[in-house]
Amino acid sequence: MMQQFAEWLSQTSLSVLIQTHNAWVIPTIQSIHIVAISVVLASVLMIDLRVLGWAGHDQTLRETANRFGPWLSRALLVLLVTGVLMVVGEPARELLSFSFCLKMFLVGVGTLIAAIFQITLKSNEHHWEQTLVKRRIVKSLAILTLLIWVSVVILGRLIAYDYVWGSWSLKPTA
Amino acid sequence: MDITGFLASLESSSLATGIRDSLYVFPLIESLHVVGLTMVFGTMLIVDLRLLGIASIRRPFTSITSDIMKWTWASFIWTAATGVLMFITNASVYYHNFFFRTKIVLLALAGINVLIFELTSGRTVHRWHKDAAAPLAGRTAAILSLLLWITIIVMGRWIGFTTSQSKAPLDRDINLDDLFTPPANESGSPK
Repeated sequence: MMQQFAEWLSQTSLSVLIQTHNAWVIPTIQSIHIVAISVVLASVLMIDLRVLGWAGHDQTLRETANRFGPWLSRALLVLLVTGVLMVVGEPARELLSFSFCLKMFLVGVGTLIAAIFQITLKSNEHHWEQTLVKRRIVKSLAILTLLIWVSVVILGRLIAYDYVWGSWSLKPTA
Repeated sequence: MDITGFLASLESSSLATGIRDSLYVFPLIESLHVVGLTMVFGTMLIVDLRLLGIASIRRPFTSITSDIMKWTWASFIWTAATGVLMFITNASVYYHNFFFRTKIVLLALAGINVLIFELTSGRTVHRWHKDAAAPLAGRTAAILSLLLWITIIVMGRWIGFTTSQSKAPLDRDINLDDLFTPPANESGSPK
């Protein structure tokens, strides 16, 4: 089914347009995608370091979240747009790749964690500052979140090398 | 030893051969290179935006740098190391590649930019670290840093498209059998 969808997508006019200019369009979109993921990674790093108590001592949790939260969500939006363009431009390369599917799952988990953090911090700042941030489980979650986004970057690059997953890759073998 | 001989000896080193012989090591190194460079650019962006007075303006410049620069430097060393590992697998091709050469020149310029900043606004940091933005020299350094690093990222991406036949998006019609059974005449290029 995914293969049929990829085939259909590759025949849409936008896809054909990207394919005709792929020599410069694809690297350009990829470069913007990398710049945006840098913003995500650095923003998550700074929030997580603050939760862990390794940085931002002069800032409250709220101040840190207010500084990096909007950059995080805007960068995610840029990633979504450039990501969709790459899928449309090269449907089979992305949709049939195991790296891509696992990456999308982790992007979902990472975004969900970030959203829950922002929402609960907004509604219950005191509880976050006084209790939650000191809990071991919350600190572990901060490290996990960072690892999730690092894995997203790794999987993003591995889309170009989907054979590393052997039979897990949906790409046709011949 | 001339440069051609040097590049050839890098390529034939056991480290380079080992990376080339594996189907998995080069993709892994390349992925870790991207992790490193996103950390370098992302953390530097925070510092540059602070210099320009665009973000974190209520925090003293020095508390930002003391939080961040250690991560930037560690990531830079990480990225340089993984970059060297990729370089040696196909040294002569990278060495003659236009985008690779441009990237190295830009990296050198980025280094000089940091040096000039340290000798100008960096020297008077105690006078302006609580101001919303840095003096002109500091703001100029921030703009140059952003332009240089974005171009470095773009150049890096273009190296991938111009040095190896197995990189995206050329793998659309790839035949897995070709990948798993290396051709008899080993070309020596990274998979």
